[in-house]
Amino acid sequence: MADSSAPKPSSSVKLVLLGEAAVGKSSLVLRFVNNDFQENKEPTIGAAFLTQKCNLPTRTIKFEIWDTAGQERFASLAPMYYRNAQAALVVYDLTKPTSLIKAKHWVAELQRQASPGIVIALVGNKLDLTEDGTGSGGDAEDAGGEDSGDARKISTEEAKTYAEEEGLLFFETSAKTGFNVTEVFTAIANAIPETSLKTARGPGASHAAARTEEQRVNLNGPRDPNAKEGCAC
Amino acid sequence: MGSSGVLADSTTTEVADLSSANPYSLHRTAHARRSEYVRPHRIRIKVGTWNVAACPGTDKDLARWFVDGEGLDPALGSSKPSDDGGPVEHELHNGSPRDASPIELADGGKIGLYVLGLQEVNVLTAPSQYMTWIYAADDSTMGKWKAALEAAIPPDYQLVVAEQLAGLLLLAYASPEIAPTISNVSTISVGTGALGYLGNKGAVCTRIVLGEVTQLLFVNSHLASGVEDYYLERRINQAQQIVNQARFEPIVISGVSEEEKTKIGDEDFAFWFGDLNFRLDRLPGDDIRRLLMLHTRGEYDLSKRELRRENSLEGEPIVVRCSSDSSDEVMDRDPDRKPQNKPDDKAVENQAADDDSVNLPDPDDFPQDPQEDPASLQATLSSLLPHDQLRRLIKERKVFHEGWREGPITFLPTYKYDVGTVALFDSSEKRRPPSWCDRILYRTRKDMERYMTKVKEEEEARKKDEEMKARGIEEAADDDILFSYDPENDSEEHPTPKVAEYDEYNEAEDGGDDQSPDQADHDTIHLDLYTSHQRITSSDHKPVSSIFTLDYDAVVPELKSKVHAEVARALDRAENEGRPGITIVADHHPRGAAWRSGSDAPAHVDFGEAVFLRKYTSTLTLANTSGVPAKLSFIEKPMTNELGDGDAAEIQWLTTCFVHSEAADDDTESVDLGKEVTLEPGETLNAVLDAQITDIVHARMLNEGQPTLEEVLVLRVTDGRDHFITVRASWAPTCIGRSVDELIRVPEGGIRAFARSLIEAKARAGAIPYDLPIHRPAPKELFRLTEAIETTTQRVIADAQMLEDCTVPSDPGWPFDEAACKSTDVDTRTSHIISLLDALDQDQALPSAFAPEIPALHRLEALAQTLVLFLRGLTDGIVPTALWNRIDQAVPSIPSLANPASLPADEATLDNDRTTVLDILQSAPHHNICFVFLTTTLARVVAELAPLSKADLATLRGNEASLLAGTAAAARGGGPGAAIGGVLSGVGRRSLGFVRKAGSGGTPVVAAWAALEKRRARERRVSEVFGGLVCRGQSAGGTSGERRAGEARRRAVMELFLRQKLE
Repeated sequence: MADSSAPKPSSSVKLVLLGEAAVGKSSLVLRFVNNDFQENKEPTIGAAFLTQKCNLPTRTIKFEIWDTAGQERFASLAPMYYRNAQAALVVYDLTKPTSLIKAKHWVAELQRQASPGIVIALVGNKLDLTEDGTGSGGDAEDAGGEDSGDARKISTEEAKTYAEEEGLLFFETSAKTGFNVTEVFTAIANAIPETSLKTARGPGASHAAARTEEQRVNLNGPRDPNAKEGCAC
Repeated sequence: MGSSGVLADSTTTEVADLSSANPYSLHRTAHARRSEYVRPHRIRIKVGTWNVAACPGTDKDLARWFVDGEGLDPALGSSKPSDDGGPVEHELHNGSPRDASPIELADGGKIGLYVLGLQEVNVLTAPSQYMTWIYAADDSTMGKWKAALEAAIPPDYQLVVAEQLAGLLLLAYASPEIAPTISNVSTISVGTGALGYLGNKGAVCTRIVLGEVTQLLFVNSHLASGVEDYYLERRINQAQQIVNQARFEPIVISGVSEEEKTKIGDEDFAFWFGDLNFRLDRLPGDDIRRLLMLHTRGEYDLSKRELRRENSLEGEPIVVRCSSDSSDEVMDRDPDRKPQNKPDDKAVENQAADDDSVNLPDPDDFPQDPQEDPASLQATLSSLLPHDQLRRLIKERKVFHEGWREGPITFLPTYKYDVGTVALFDSSEKRRPPSWCDRILYRTRKDMERYMTKVKEEEEARKKDEEMKARGIEEAADDDILFSYDPENDSEEHPTPKVAEYDEYNEAEDGGDDQSPDQADHDTIHLDLYTSHQRITSSDHKPVSSIFTLDYDAVVPELKSKVHAEVARALDRAENEGRPGITIVADHHPRGAAWRSGSDAPAHVDFGEAVFLRKYTSTLTLANTSGVPAKLSFIEKPMTNELGDGDAAEIQWLTTCFVHSEAADDDTESVDLGKEVTLEPGETLNAVLDAQITDIVHARMLNEGQPTLEEVLVLRVTDGRDHFITVRASWAPTCIGRSVDELIRVPEGGIRAFARSLIEAKARAGAIPYDLPIHRPAPKELFRLTEAIETTTQRVIADAQMLEDCTVPSDPGWPFDEAACKSTDVDTRTSHIISLLDALDQDQALPSAFAPEIPALHRLEALAQTLVLFLRGLTDGIVPTALWNRIDQAVPSIPSLANPASLPADEATLDNDRTTVLDILQSAPHHNICFVFLTTTLARVVAELAPLSKADLATLRGNEASLLAGTAAAARGGGPGAAIGGVLSGVGRRSLGFVRKAGSGGTPVVAAWAALEKRRARERRVSEVFGGLVCRGQSAGGTSGERRAGEARRRAVMELFLRQKLE
């Protein structure tokens, strides 16, 4: 019954997406999970849930993605979804200044209420609407300065500075073109500390804790934290 | 739960609220938003009252005064006509202070509602008539008045109310614009006449609702007549009685009824009119008459009179000299006069709004009045009004004090005139003093509330005062001043006790305050006209009419339906969002992509190819994506299939359970969470689906192509929706559950590939047709299994001799009796069996099925059990029923079977019996081959497992002669030793004892016998295991005795062939 493929340690990571309505949370997930994009997506009701495995050199991470509804009337549900989350994607719209303010609120709330050690990534979406969106891609930071007549309202520098202050991962993405989307999730997967994997989550926690020990033994060789490895998607 | 507890709780509360959603809460929610669909409207209402004194011809006059507004005599106190609609329209166009927001004036200024109250439409002459009027509707009277009014008003006006109580008649007609907005018309009559019930006095009251919001009340009453105080008391009591008794049907709006009946005081606007019969107090009748006569005769006001034009257009009977100057019709109809009317109208408004000028007859006020001329009629009227009982009683809070208002009286007393005259007061002997009997009072909700507030404040002040007084008494009990103090005479310092004085005082102060409600609210009323119609002469009372302009709130139906629809949608949405909901992700989707249940398509689990016995597991991740805890369970469906009931339970191949997510991650033993689990919002768990086909009957059916491995699981979210999960698997054809005749037709490459090729050819699974060529004499599976068993047995024996930790289990049934297979647990063995079957089905060498490190002991158990499974699975069996029946029939000629308990001892008989059986089997050569092959192999295996060394054999042979003698004796005795059977069938304890004696305690003999015993025991036990598997027949039929005998014979046949010659 054993799988033919060499078994890598596998663990689940609960990841929650937060952000203002219509910034592209669901689209980011859709791009990441199905490599797909839909124009004029319906607003999410309550929350959506998807899973996606991410293969790292030394382990496999199964993201349990909780994609929350951004509409204000669902805001009260969010704590239920970020509870016990090990990672959070706080998304804003590069072309909408209020969405960054909202994102900052979410970051503050997460830092206050969510599990300590939660990995938070700040993601500015809709890069395709900016000048540098369709460009060469890799160096969004350089392009951030030249806001010449495009729809960009939040400079890369501004968001990046904020992210550094708060100790957040930071990316600018386009769910539409797929630019940088996988990188966000891979970076999160790499940033999750080994120790926070398999930590207590709901009942049966003791079980899980016991297994952590086992896994540590099995994990041989130091993991390269900078390993750039795409997800299997 | 921890920190989420609070959140979950709050959500639950919310849901509870939502779940209680019903038409009422829809109504309530919509009601809460009524400001969105209620808009201010304006309506003009004309109210008229007339005591017709049962005079003939009064109905003919109705149109003139009530509808056309004629019969006014400006000179005689009807000097403020503004009922032509002009002033109101004018006011609207100019935008009065009240028009801060646009107000919809229904009907564009015309009268929206005519309300007419008549008294004494009948005269009561005899007691018998009372009864008639009370118990029989007087249709003719009602009909007459309806006809009269309908003839006067525009034809498209609709009847709203028509009610008669004896002499009281109430009629109301609404304009076509207003009529559809009127609802909840409820009319009640209160009789206050003789005996307190009869209807000669009393009231007819109507409550209507305008535009679903505004309640209007109309009371037409006729109170007791009479000048004396006694009658005054009666009037007060009757008014109170009407208030106490009038109850209207509960209001129903949009099909939702209020619980309680409404009463007088619940309305937004009230109008109380009729012959209230209040008189002028403390003035001699003749003095009044004389005073008024000065005016009616035109002694005063000469200059004005001369300016008037003679007008006799209406041909009114002119009796009084001064009446010749009447020109009111012209005034009414001449639009050019509007500007002139306006100041008058303003004056009315001022007076209506400012109670001081109305209620306070203080002469000091008059100099400020526009009509300050002491010689004017108004001055005279104003001097009389302080004597009006009604006004006095209102101030004294005896009657109509609860916020009721009356317009300024600018007309002559309405009673009593000589019929047919203008302004000629009762010239009969009685010379009744003139008085304002006929009145129109009104009030708004605000008026009443203000009154209530005032009373409350006074009450509080009084209590406070009493407290102070009590304290004062305690503190200064000896102070005479306190006792001599008379609060009634000292209202300035202690304004409480004397109601009337306080009231007066207070109202004077509150002058500014009274106007505020008009500005604050749209529920305002404006008195446009209050007048009597002097020139109507057909009754001894003059009719009195009023025009009111009301600003009221009314529902705009289109807005309301829009709001209703929105509320309904919002409630629906809230209800749906409040329901528990989950998202299902099938982790092992064939395409690798996570599948989501967000769409309507059911979740899908495909196990792929399912092999017999192998357990397949698929995991679904269930996530609660709603805001409330979700209770989940798989619905147990009744099994519906084409098979008999008996098979239903057996073909259950799919099982489900819920486990924690972590458990599924790393394949550790998971805890089954039970049939029903509750999932908190934001949490996940796994549903594990296990598919496993373990039943041979099921395997046979699947081999034949029926049924398919498809199921739809229903995952129910309590109070939410059902999720459908389709599950399927494709059957991997196997050798288990086939017939010998099928298997011999399987070519090289194994049955699985062959069956697939057949399926491809026929597009359908099924049995292997018997018309295909035969590829081998017996099923290859049998060859492979028996061969492997034999070689593995040898290996086991070798291991047992070589290795310390390996011993051959001593159980005689081992390894064929499953219960005896103890070296491997069921799961391990099953996995070995699955590997073996895979090898068989794919025509691979059996040893390849085992990992190299698997001990021979384990292998043998797996192989032996696979053989058992294979034989059991054969649909026909090695010895099919037909053949077995023939063997059964031949039993008498087969001594070995005739007495299955023990085989005959002599080899010759045994050989003979074997031949007989094989002869019968010869008719089915393939089965014959299988049988011989199987039994030979099993015999060899038994021989390997229970070996007899050469020494043993020699020993046994040496003792054969003596043994035979003993055996014969033992056989006759049939002792317990018979169980050993065979050559030693007669050897019981006795014979053993004999053997021991014969051998003189020699060990070789004992050992030889023990070995032989072991051999025989194995033969017997293995035969028992295989008897039923190899030889088929109706084991189910017959009595239990017959069945046992049948089983014994099957076993005996096997034993017959397993017994090998000792050599």
